[in-house]
Amino acid sequence: MAQMLWLIIALPLGGAFICGIFGRALGRANTNLIACAAVAGSFALSLLAFWAVNDPQTVLVSPFARERLHYALGQDFGTWFAAGTFRVNFGLTVDHLAGVMILVVTGVGFLIHVYSTSYMGSDEGYWRFFAYLNLFIAMMLTLVLADSLPLLFIGWEGVGLCSYLLIGFWYEDAAKAWAGRKAFIVNRIGDFGFLIGMFLLTLWVSAFQAQTDNASGQGRALVQWRAGISEQGPLSFGGLEEAVRRIPPAAAHMADAVSLATPIASGPLSGVTFGQALTVVLLLFMVGAAGKSAQLPLYVWLPDAMAGPTPVSALIHAATMVTAGVYLFSRIGFLLVLSPLAMAVVALVGAATALFSAVIAFAQDDMKKVLAYSTISQLGYMFMAAGLGIFWAAILHLVTHAFFKACLFLGAGSVMHGNAGETDIKRLGGLRKEMPWTWATFFIASVAITGVFPLSGFFSKDAILHGVHEARVAGYEWVSPTVWIIGLCAAFCTAFYIWRLYLLVFEGKRSPDSPVKHAHESEWPMTVPLVVLAALSIIGAVYGIPIISSSAGTQTLMENYLWPVFIVAEQIARIQRTISVEHEGSLWAAWAEAWAIAVAGTALAVFLYRRYFPSKVRIPVPELARAIVRWDRNAFYVDQIYDALIVRPTKFISFVLYKLVDSLLIDTIFVRGTAWVTARTGAALRYLQTGDAQSYAAVMALAVLGAAAYAIIQVLR
Amino acid sequence: MSFLQLHLLNVVIFAPLLFASIVAVLPQAEHGQIRVATLIGMILTFLLALWIYLGFDPSGPEFQFEYRARWIPSLGISLHTGVDGLAVSLVLLTALLGPLVVLASWSFIGERVKEFHFGLLVLQTAMLGAFASLDLILFYVFWEAMLVPMYFIIGVWGSEERVMAAVKFFLFTFIGSLLMLVAILALYFISQPPGARSFDYAQLYNSLLAATREVSACARTGPICSNLSPLAQNLWTYGPWMFLAFAVAFAVKVPMFPVHTWLPDAHVQAPSAGSIILAGVMLKMGTFGFWRYAIPLFPVAARDLRPLLAALSVVGIVYGALMCLAQRDAKRLIAYSSVSHLGFCMLGMLAITQEGAAGSAYQMLNHGISTGALFLLFGMLYERRHVRLIAEYGGLAKVMPIYAAFFLIITFSSIAVPGTNGFVGEFLVLLGTFKSALPLFFGVLAALGVILGPAYMLWMVQRLFFGPLTQPENQRVRDLSLREIATALPLVVLALVMGVLPQPFLNQMAASTRLFVARASLGMAGARVDLRDLEIKVQELRPEPSLSSRPRQPPDVSVPLSRLDRNPLQIATASPDSQASRTLAVDASELEP
Repeated sequence: MAQMLWLIIALPLGGAFICGIFGRALGRANTNLIACAAVAGSFALSLLAFWAVNDPQTVLVSPFARERLHYALGQDFGTWFAAGTFRVNFGLTVDHLAGVMILVVTGVGFLIHVYSTSYMGSDEGYWRFFAYLNLFIAMMLTLVLADSLPLLFIGWEGVGLCSYLLIGFWYEDAAKAWAGRKAFIVNRIGDFGFLIGMFLLTLWVSAFQAQTDNASGQGRALVQWRAGISEQGPLSFGGLEEAVRRIPPAAAHMADAVSLATPIASGPLSGVTFGQALTVVLLLFMVGAAGKSAQLPLYVWLPDAMAGPTPVSALIHAATMVTAGVYLFSRIGFLLVLSPLAMAVVALVGAATALFSAVIAFAQDDMKKVLAYSTISQLGYMFMAAGLGIFWAAILHLVTHAFFKACLFLGAGSVMHGNAGETDIKRLGGLRKEMPWTWATFFIASVAITGVFPLSGFFSKDAILHGVHEARVAGYEWVSPTVWIIGLCAAFCTAFYIWRLYLLVFEGKRSPDSPVKHAHESEWPMTVPLVVLAALSIIGAVYGIPIISSSAGTQTLMENYLWPVFIVAEQIARIQRTISVEHEGSLWAAWAEAWAIAVAGTALAVFLYRRYFPSKVRIPVPELARAIVRWDRNAFYVDQIYDALIVRPTKFISFVLYKLVDSLLIDTIFVRGTAWVTARTGAALRYLQTGDAQSYAAVMALAVLGAAAYAIIQVLR
Repeated sequence: MSFLQLHLLNVVIFAPLLFASIVAVLPQAEHGQIRVATLIGMILTFLLALWIYLGFDPSGPEFQFEYRARWIPSLGISLHTGVDGLAVSLVLLTALLGPLVVLASWSFIGERVKEFHFGLLVLQTAMLGAFASLDLILFYVFWEAMLVPMYFIIGVWGSEERVMAAVKFFLFTFIGSLLMLVAILALYFISQPPGARSFDYAQLYNSLLAATREVSACARTGPICSNLSPLAQNLWTYGPWMFLAFAVAFAVKVPMFPVHTWLPDAHVQAPSAGSIILAGVMLKMGTFGFWRYAIPLFPVAARDLRPLLAALSVVGIVYGALMCLAQRDAKRLIAYSSVSHLGFCMLGMLAITQEGAAGSAYQMLNHGISTGALFLLFGMLYERRHVRLIAEYGGLAKVMPIYAAFFLIITFSSIAVPGTNGFVGEFLVLLGTFKSALPLFFGVLAALGVILGPAYMLWMVQRLFFGPLTQPENQRVRDLSLREIATALPLVVLALVMGVLPQPFLNQMAASTRLFVARASLGMAGARVDLRDLEIKVQELRPEPSLSSRPRQPPDVSVPLSRLDRNPLQIATASPDSQASRTLAVDASELEP
């Protein structure tokens, strides 16, 4: 199986190539078939890989340590590039974490491909669409399967690239193309942090290498690790994990061992301690994750990204790509738990984003915008969990969110399809009867995202809130209660905005402004994925029910399944005493709270939109309320603030520099000035060479006279 | 050795000149014949250069395909050519761009066709010669020879303000190269005793080696150096000035901030063939000069000026990118993006780490491909519409899908998306900068280019290709013809191949990179370098048949190590692997605390 891992990526990549180059010649049906088959093949292979890593016999021989890793398989396909001591290999690994992710990516990806065959059924750019979509799947799989940070970065930027191409898919609409560019640049701001993080981490590894060389105890233990580093490069996950496993706790007094409190002795990082450097690295990765996963303050691209076709919003901007940041922190969880500060920042950013964007979602009238802000908010939940070391809950929520949010987005797409592309929820309404399948699936997914027992969203969100409540970050004890309270508020908001959306679209009467008299239900390629995703939103709950009893207490299926991956992080956290995650705690009380909050939010939405507002139709709204709504609808003018503070000044500075420094100072004053001075000097000197024999004779006579006078004076003295 | 084996490199260098003479005798009006003859010459050169590239053995001697013959023995000037890993890569790049340039001007150049193609071929020889020469006078001759055809290409076949641009280009470069000539002469007189003087690169370098070490060791102890040997004393006094003269010449060519203002004008006014060659090859002449001459010959001076030069590179990266944001003219924008990209090349080189140098070398090739392709592609558009203003376009993706796809791929290469060649280069350069002894914020500021790059490139792409087709003229624009596809496709494919499989290309340059870093770090405090590893071993001149005119054996003063390279056995037996592994350990970051 390990030798075939590359095929998982190669199939959609090949599909992208064929669709992109020959798609137009092949025709619509063939292109649809090839694109779907490529992803289906990749899904089948992912299932095989998933199966393989479930077998305890599957072992991965790590080059970094003598031990073998169970429940993982991997293959190194040779060097990508190497220079000096740096090296990146094409190494792919599947463990339980990657296994879950590739199933989600290819599974949801396949459903969305099928959906798109109908949704894009009349678009003449179908071949381009499927080429980009296949390329996206390939890049996302690279991101997930990569066994080193630089390789992950190929996928990381590759998905951003596909996102750029797909947001601006209808490029003839300039606004849509600008939205693509905005997404790319904001992502690049994040990647700027990611890149610098990688460079500093490389320095960190080489400093660690140099200093453990001298240390007696660690030095010997790390011989194998050093060999692995030179074989696979300093940034492979296995190597980093092995390195931090060898770090003794700061408190332990081990002679000349390198711990987090040891200052770095040489190199560009000298002066700071290993722990401080690592915190900076992790915060830089957080910048990268904030860009890709649309967290504060870099979330601004995601609402605009809704310009892309709706299947794209479902796949890229809800289910898969935007979760890359969560995946990254789960992947390097063993590093994250070394830095309480970084953990606190990640969790707080997640919490702030969750609440902030949920509040913005209140006043959005565009169906897709509501779902976009909802996605940002749900991603915030995942960051809360990852930041506080409850990685399995983050991944569980990632998976269930992929199901119900994809279902919601595809449902929205189906609504648009049946209503002549209308996205304004004020101009829809009463679709329940007309689009029964869409309605039923949308309803189920709404229940799931609200977090109502017993759907999947309830278990995953509750796992996060419960875990957050129990976690304690060393030195930042106030973080977890804060995050918990914010999380509860955001849960309330979630229930409110999603039911507002649901009620306005499906219940009540059809709006008089509606573009079509009767909406039509979509065809089977669109409804079948909806049904499957809705079913998954229910079934996904199984992973969140605590049914497995293990040595560490009762575990949920997902927690137990991801145990082999995250146990390292947990062990390290225990050794370094950075965070404690209680596995006990009264679960029933937490469940009751979550349930009550979800129901309260729903009830408020129902009350307002079914009873209160309909009864006040003719009564003018007070000015204050209108102002609040206006602020909220404009997303608190964050875009405008960024524009005024960053975009315009940059443009202005570049314009001023161009006019003043480049054109005026360098080109006019220095360059032309030199030429001017040369020309003037030449013109002045020209008078010395008049060609007039008389003046030459006069000058000569004067000179001779002067010389004679000088000679006479000399002689007389 | 067969004739071809011995002369292969010479054949590559002078084949274009041979075809230039063929073009010269063709009738003026036979445009087709002239174009075909030029194309055949360029393709032949490319195939031979490819042969050399594939035959270059990175584990072999430093300089390969070497040829050495007497030229002006009384002054110690010889016709000495040979390529190391970087030079052979740049030779291949030059030879690759040759046929593409001819194809790109196939229908664009309609006047003075004969002179144009004659100029292209002469230029090709000059550029190949400059990369391959191992004699400073020979290098200088080729270097200056490049100027003349380029001057005419800009001045005769350019746009409205072509004469101004051509003069500006000529004066900027020429002033730089005059300074370089002075430095070459000074070096010639200072470094060697009378009677044994030579302009040979290897001999000059080897004769300075011991003195450089002395100066380097002394510079560590304090600002005042005494008790130096006479040569070292001279090097101590005049070295910085000679370095500066070289550096100015090369910095103009790179171009580094603030001597870059000739570049936008030259690029904008030049026909697209001129722009492609300028961006693709001639700018690399500057970085190559730093790599081959300025830094290895004067590592101590280079060390002292490193913060300044690195700062100018970083300024160039950010400033060039900001300039791009202010442009309205597509060619001017691409020209300023070159300032930014070449800043990466210089920064990687000045980092003096293995990663940085490898990245810098790779970035030289990348920039040749991606920016060359950008000028090539924009030239095709210019040929259709004859406007450079970005605002004149919009929505072209609708009518020119193939063109748009090519342009987009090259744009991604230019903004260093992983999977394209640009990423590997930029990544290594930045990594090398972070690893180096330069302050960390240099790397951070340089990395800003990662954000600004897409800001201006995607802005241009947006304005050219997306949005509605507003201008009626643009609606009639046709997509690429087969010839144009064939012209652009090699560069597009190469941009992807070099991004996915960079290692074969990096391997060819690996030995040169190691040696460059080792030589440059000789100027670093505490360099633990074995001088024998740094020495350049080249062919000796074969003794002339008549004994009387045989050059006198120079007395071995001040150059105790030069005996080694007199020994022909040394060349044959020197094990390159052991050299490589011994020099591998040198890394600037380890040297400066």
